[in-house]
Amino acid sequence: MKKVCLMLLLISTQVSSIEGNEELTSQERELYQQIIQEVRCLVCQNQSVGESNADLAKDLRTEILEQVKQGSSEDDIKSYLLSRYGDFVLYDPSFKKSTYILWLSPVLIILLILGWLRKIGVIGK
Amino acid sequence: MKRILPIIIFIGLFVFLAKSLFQPQTNIPSPLIGKPIPTFSLSELNSDTSLTDSDILGNISLINVWATWCVGCEQEHGFLVELAANQTIDMPIIGINWKDRDDLARKWLSQRGDPYIVVLSDPIGKTAIDFGVYGAPETFLIDEQGVIHYKHIGPLNREIFASNFMPIIKDLRR
Repeated sequence: MKKVCLMLLLISTQVSSIEGNEELTSQERELYQQIIQEVRCLVCQNQSVGESNADLAKDLRTEILEQVKQGSSEDDIKSYLLSRYGDFVLYDPSFKKSTYILWLSPVLIILLILGWLRKIGVIGK
Repeated sequence: MKRILPIIIFIGLFVFLAKSLFQPQTNIPSPLIGKPIPTFSLSELNSDTSLTDSDILGNISLINVWATWCVGCEQEHGFLVELAANQTIDMPIIGINWKDRDDLARKWLSQRGDPYIVVLSDPIGKTAIDFGVYGAPETFLIDEQGVIHYKHIGPLNREIFASNFMPIIKDLRR
Protein backbone atom coordinates (compact mmCIF):
# COMPACT_ATOMS: atom_id res chain seq x y z
CA MET A 1 0.00 0.00 0.00
CA LYS A 2 2.79 2.37 0.95
CA LYS A 3 4.50 1.65 -2.32
CA VAL A 4 1.36 2.36 -4.26
CA CYS A 5 0.88 5.64 -2.45
CA LEU A 6 4.46 6.61 -3.13
CA MET A 7 4.07 5.79 -6.77
CA LEU A 8 0.88 7.79 -7.04
CA LEU A 9 2.62 10.67 -5.34
CA LEU A 10 5.50 10.48 -7.80
CA ILE A 11 3.12 10.37 -10.74
CA SER A 12 1.14 13.30 -9.46
CA THR A 13 4.25 15.44 -8.91
CA GLN A 14 5.35 14.56 -12.40
CA VAL A 15 2.07 15.66 -13.88
CA SER A 16 2.15 18.97 -12.06
CA SER A 17 5.72 19.65 -13.11
CA ILE A 18 4.72 19.09 -16.73
CA GLU A 19 2.18 21.85 -16.31
CA GLY A 20 4.92 24.05 -14.96
CA ASN A 21 3.30 25.06 -11.71
CA GLU A 22 6.28 24.10 -9.56
CA GLU A 23 7.16 27.77 -9.14
CA LEU A 24 3.95 28.47 -7.32
CA THR A 25 3.72 29.10 -3.61
CA SER A 26 1.53 26.59 -1.79
CA GLN A 27 -1.17 29.20 -1.51
CA GLU A 28 -1.12 29.89 -5.23
CA ARG A 29 -1.14 26.20 -6.01
CA GLU A 30 -4.17 25.69 -3.82
CA LEU A 31 -6.00 28.52 -5.57
CA TYR A 32 -5.05 27.14 -8.97
CA GLN A 33 -6.21 23.63 -8.08
CA GLN A 34 -9.45 24.96 -6.65
CA ILE A 35 -10.30 27.09 -9.68
CA ILE A 36 -9.59 24.41 -12.28
CA GLN A 37 -11.98 22.10 -10.45
CA GLU A 38 -14.73 24.72 -10.56
CA VAL A 39 -14.43 25.63 -14.22
CA ARG A 40 -16.29 23.56 -16.72
CA CYS A 41 -14.46 22.20 -19.71
CA LEU A 42 -16.75 23.56 -22.37
CA VAL A 43 -16.03 21.05 -25.08
CA CYS A 44 -16.42 17.99 -22.89
CA GLN A 45 -18.99 19.57 -20.54
CA ASN A 46 -19.17 16.86 -17.94
CA GLN A 47 -15.61 17.32 -16.85
CA SER A 48 -13.93 20.22 -15.17
CA VAL A 49 -11.02 21.99 -16.78
CA GLY A 50 -8.84 20.25 -14.20
CA GLU A 51 -9.94 16.78 -15.26
CA SER A 52 -10.02 17.15 -18.99
CA ASN A 53 -7.29 16.57 -21.54
CA ALA A 54 -9.08 18.49 -24.25
CA ASP A 55 -7.02 21.17 -25.94
CA LEU A 56 -9.24 23.99 -24.82
CA ALA A 57 -9.04 22.74 -21.22
CA LYS A 58 -5.25 22.77 -21.40
CA ASP A 59 -5.28 26.31 -22.76
CA LEU A 60 -7.63 27.43 -20.03
CA ARG A 61 -5.44 25.78 -17.38
CA THR A 62 -2.39 27.58 -18.75
CA GLU A 63 -4.29 30.86 -18.72
CA ILE A 64 -5.54 30.35 -15.16
CA LEU A 65 -2.04 29.36 -14.06
CA GLU A 66 -0.57 32.50 -15.61
CA GLN A 67 -3.11 34.65 -13.85
CA VAL A 68 -2.54 32.93 -10.51
CA LYS A 69 1.19 33.56 -10.93
CA GLN A 70 0.50 37.22 -11.62
CA GLY A 71 -1.33 37.37 -8.34
CA SER A 72 -4.92 37.59 -9.59
CA SER A 73 -7.59 36.74 -7.07
CA GLU A 74 -10.20 34.02 -7.42
CA ASP A 75 -12.84 36.64 -8.29
CA ASP A 76 -10.62 38.24 -10.92
CA ILE A 77 -10.03 34.94 -12.67
CA LYS A 78 -13.66 33.88 -12.49
CA SER A 79 -14.92 37.15 -13.89
CA TYR A 80 -12.29 36.92 -16.63
CA LEU A 81 -13.77 33.55 -17.64
CA LEU A 82 -17.37 34.68 -17.16
CA SER A 83 -16.95 37.69 -19.44
CA ARG A 84 -15.75 35.40 -22.22
CA TYR A 85 -17.65 32.18 -21.82
CA GLY A 86 -20.71 33.15 -19.80
CA ASP A 87 -22.34 31.58 -16.73
CA PHE A 88 -22.06 28.15 -18.21
CA VAL A 89 -18.32 28.04 -17.61
CA LEU A 90 -18.69 27.88 -13.83
CA TYR A 91 -20.12 24.86 -12.06
CA ASP A 92 -21.32 27.17 -9.33
CA PRO A 93 -23.16 29.94 -11.19
CA SER A 94 -23.39 33.29 -9.46
CA PHE A 95 -26.65 34.41 -7.90
CA LYS A 96 -28.11 37.07 -10.17
CA LYS A 97 -31.21 38.01 -12.12
CA SER A 98 -30.88 35.39 -14.85
CA THR A 99 -30.10 32.63 -12.37
CA TYR A 100 -32.79 33.36 -9.75
CA ILE A 101 -34.99 30.58 -11.08
CA LEU A 102 -32.11 28.16 -11.06
CA TRP A 103 -31.25 28.88 -7.45
CA LEU A 104 -34.75 29.25 -6.07
CA SER A 105 -36.48 26.42 -7.88
CA PRO A 106 -35.54 23.73 -5.31
CA VAL A 107 -37.05 25.81 -2.49
CA LEU A 108 -40.13 26.46 -4.60
CA ILE A 109 -40.58 22.81 -5.42
CA ILE A 110 -40.25 21.79 -1.76
CA LEU A 111 -42.83 24.42 -0.77
CA LEU A 112 -45.20 23.17 -3.46
CA ILE A 113 -44.81 19.58 -2.34
CA LEU A 114 -45.35 20.54 1.32
CA GLY A 115 -48.45 22.48 0.38
CA TRP A 116 -49.76 19.58 -1.62
CA LEU A 117 -49.07 17.08 1.18
CA ARG A 118 -50.95 19.31 3.60
CA LYS A 119 -53.82 19.59 1.22
CA ILE A 120 -54.25 15.88 0.77
CA GLY A 121 -53.84 15.46 4.54
CA VAL A 122 -50.64 13.45 4.72
CA ILE A 123 -49.19 15.99 7.11
CA GLY A 124 -51.33 17.64 9.80
CA LYS A 125 -53.09 20.93 9.38
CA MET B 1 -58.76 16.70 -11.37
CA LYS B 2 -57.06 16.60 -8.00
CA ARG B 3 -55.81 13.11 -8.68
CA ILE B 4 -54.58 13.73 -12.20
CA LEU B 5 -52.75 16.96 -11.35
CA PRO B 6 -49.69 15.29 -9.79
CA ILE B 7 -49.52 12.90 -12.71
CA ILE B 8 -49.62 15.77 -15.17
CA ILE B 9 -46.90 17.56 -13.22
CA PHE B 10 -44.87 14.36 -13.14
CA ILE B 11 -45.18 13.79 -16.86
CA GLY B 12 -44.36 17.42 -17.60
CA LEU B 13 -41.28 17.32 -15.42
CA PHE B 14 -40.25 13.98 -16.87
CA VAL B 15 -40.48 15.20 -20.44
CA PHE B 16 -38.62 18.41 -19.60
CA LEU B 17 -35.79 16.64 -17.80
CA ALA B 18 -35.51 13.85 -20.37
CA LYS B 19 -35.33 16.42 -23.13
CA SER B 20 -32.63 18.42 -21.36
CA LEU B 21 -30.70 15.23 -20.66
CA PHE B 22 -30.47 14.12 -24.27
CA GLN B 23 -30.16 17.52 -25.87
CA PRO B 24 -26.51 18.49 -26.14
CA GLN B 25 -25.86 22.10 -25.14
CA THR B 26 -24.30 23.29 -28.34
CA ASN B 27 -25.54 26.78 -28.70
CA ILE B 28 -24.59 28.37 -25.43
CA PRO B 29 -25.20 32.11 -25.64
CA SER B 30 -22.04 34.15 -25.78
CA PRO B 31 -21.69 37.00 -23.27
CA LEU B 32 -19.72 38.81 -25.96
CA ILE B 33 -22.78 39.60 -28.09
CA GLY B 34 -23.26 43.36 -28.06
CA LYS B 35 -19.71 43.94 -26.92
CA PRO B 36 -16.70 45.06 -28.95
CA ILE B 37 -14.21 42.43 -30.09
CA PRO B 38 -11.36 41.83 -27.66
CA THR B 39 -8.06 43.60 -28.21
CA PHE B 40 -5.30 41.60 -29.84
CA SER B 41 -2.12 41.81 -31.80
CA LEU B 42 -1.56 38.87 -34.13
CA SER B 43 0.77 38.28 -37.01
CA GLU B 44 -0.63 38.00 -40.48
CA LEU B 45 -0.35 34.59 -42.11
CA ASN B 46 1.10 35.75 -45.41
CA SER B 47 3.52 38.36 -44.14
CA ASP B 48 5.43 39.22 -41.02
CA THR B 49 3.36 42.26 -40.17
CA SER B 50 1.27 42.11 -37.07
CA LEU B 51 -2.23 43.49 -36.96
CA THR B 52 -4.30 44.71 -34.03
CA ASP B 53 -8.04 44.66 -33.49
CA SER B 54 -8.40 48.25 -34.69
CA ASP B 55 -6.71 47.39 -38.01
CA ILE B 56 -9.54 45.09 -39.06
CA LEU B 57 -12.41 47.48 -38.31
CA GLY B 58 -14.31 49.67 -40.75
CA ASN B 59 -16.64 47.17 -42.38
CA ILE B 60 -19.46 44.91 -41.41
CA SER B 61 -17.57 41.65 -41.60
CA LEU B 62 -17.25 38.09 -40.46
CA ILE B 63 -14.51 36.76 -38.23
CA ASN B 64 -14.04 33.07 -38.85
CA VAL B 65 -11.99 30.95 -36.43
CA TRP B 66 -10.58 27.93 -38.25
CA ALA B 67 -7.78 25.40 -38.36
CA THR B 68 -6.48 22.81 -40.76
CA TRP B 69 -7.00 20.06 -38.16
CA CYS B 70 -10.67 20.92 -37.80
CA VAL B 71 -13.19 18.71 -39.58
CA GLY B 72 -16.02 21.23 -39.51
CA CYS B 73 -13.79 23.83 -41.14
CA GLU B 74 -13.31 21.53 -44.09
CA GLN B 75 -17.10 21.20 -44.36
CA GLU B 76 -17.79 24.92 -44.35
CA HIS B 77 -14.86 25.98 -46.50
CA GLY B 78 -16.66 25.62 -49.81
CA PHE B 79 -19.41 27.88 -48.57
CA LEU B 80 -16.93 30.50 -47.32
CA VAL B 81 -15.26 30.59 -50.74
CA GLU B 82 -18.66 30.96 -52.37
CA LEU B 83 -19.63 33.72 -49.94
CA ALA B 84 -16.41 35.63 -50.47
CA ALA B 85 -17.01 35.60 -54.22
CA ASN B 86 -20.60 36.81 -53.87
CA GLN B 87 -20.55 40.49 -54.74
CA THR B 88 -24.17 41.16 -53.85
CA ILE B 89 -23.67 40.13 -50.24
CA ASP B 90 -20.21 41.75 -50.28
CA MET B 91 -19.05 40.42 -46.95
CA PRO B 92 -15.37 40.54 -46.05
CA ILE B 93 -14.22 37.51 -44.07
CA ILE B 94 -11.36 37.78 -41.63
CA GLY B 95 -9.77 34.46 -40.69
CA ILE B 96 -8.21 33.58 -37.38
CA ASN B 97 -6.08 30.49 -37.80
CA TRP B 98 -6.34 28.85 -34.41
CA LYS B 99 -3.67 26.64 -32.83
CA ASP B 100 -2.27 25.71 -36.16
CA ARG B 101 0.97 25.82 -38.13
CA ASP B 102 1.45 28.64 -40.64
CA ASP B 103 2.89 26.37 -43.34
CA LEU B 104 -0.04 23.95 -43.07
CA ALA B 105 -2.51 26.81 -43.15
CA ARG B 106 -0.95 28.33 -46.27
CA LYS B 107 -0.96 24.98 -48.02
CA TRP B 108 -4.60 24.36 -47.03
CA LEU B 109 -5.69 27.72 -48.46
CA SER B 110 -3.75 27.34 -51.69
CA GLN B 111 -5.37 23.94 -52.25
CA ARG B 112 -8.93 24.85 -51.34
CA GLY B 113 -9.12 28.52 -52.20
CA ASP B 114 -8.71 31.49 -49.90
CA PRO B 115 -11.95 33.24 -48.90
CA TYR B 116 -10.26 35.56 -46.39
CA ILE B 117 -9.29 39.17 -46.90
CA VAL B 118 -6.72 38.59 -44.18
CA VAL B 119 -5.73 35.63 -42.00
CA LEU B 120 -4.30 36.16 -38.53
CA SER B 121 -2.33 33.44 -36.77
CA ASP B 122 -3.16 32.56 -33.20
CA PRO B 123 -0.87 29.59 -32.57
CA ILE B 124 -1.15 29.69 -28.76
CA GLY B 125 -4.90 30.24 -28.70
CA LYS B 126 -4.79 33.23 -26.36
CA THR B 127 -6.89 35.45 -28.61
CA ALA B 128 -9.33 32.61 -29.13
CA ILE B 129 -9.91 32.47 -25.37
CA ASP B 130 -10.55 36.22 -25.42
CA PHE B 131 -13.15 35.58 -28.12
CA GLY B 132 -14.68 32.88 -25.93
CA VAL B 133 -14.02 30.24 -28.56
CA TYR B 134 -15.08 26.68 -27.73
CA GLY B 135 -14.03 24.86 -30.82
CA ALA B 136 -13.47 25.63 -34.45
CA PRO B 137 -15.19 26.59 -36.61
CA GLU B 138 -16.80 29.63 -35.03
CA THR B 139 -18.01 32.66 -36.90
CA PHE B 140 -18.63 36.14 -35.50
CA LEU B 141 -20.55 38.91 -37.19
CA ILE B 142 -19.16 42.35 -36.36
CA ASP B 143 -20.19 45.85 -37.38
CA GLU B 144 -17.99 48.75 -38.53
CA GLN B 145 -17.04 49.58 -34.96
CA GLY B 146 -16.18 46.01 -34.10
CA VAL B 147 -19.24 45.28 -31.99
CA ILE B 148 -20.15 41.57 -32.11
CA HIS B 149 -23.75 41.04 -33.24
CA TYR B 150 -23.92 37.32 -33.71
CA LYS B 151 -21.89 34.21 -33.14
CA HIS B 152 -22.29 30.84 -34.78
CA ILE B 153 -20.63 27.71 -33.44
CA GLY B 154 -20.04 24.93 -35.93
CA PRO B 155 -19.79 24.74 -39.70
CA LEU B 156 -21.52 27.48 -41.64
CA ASN B 157 -23.65 26.81 -44.70
CA ARG B 158 -25.96 28.65 -47.04
CA GLU B 159 -29.12 27.96 -45.01
CA ILE B 160 -27.67 29.00 -41.66
CA PHE B 161 -26.16 32.11 -43.19
CA ALA B 162 -29.42 33.09 -44.87
CA SER B 163 -31.59 32.52 -41.80
CA ASN B 164 -29.31 33.64 -38.96
CA PHE B 165 -26.85 36.12 -40.41
CA MET B 166 -28.63 37.87 -43.28
CA PRO B 167 -31.45 39.47 -41.23
CA ILE B 168 -28.92 41.03 -38.84
CA ILE B 169 -26.70 42.15 -41.74
CA LYS B 170 -29.71 43.78 -43.44
CA ASP B 171 -30.56 45.55 -40.20
CA LEU B 172 -27.01 46.80 -39.80
CA ARG B 173 -26.85 48.09 -43.36
CA ARG B 174 -30.13 49.95 -43.18
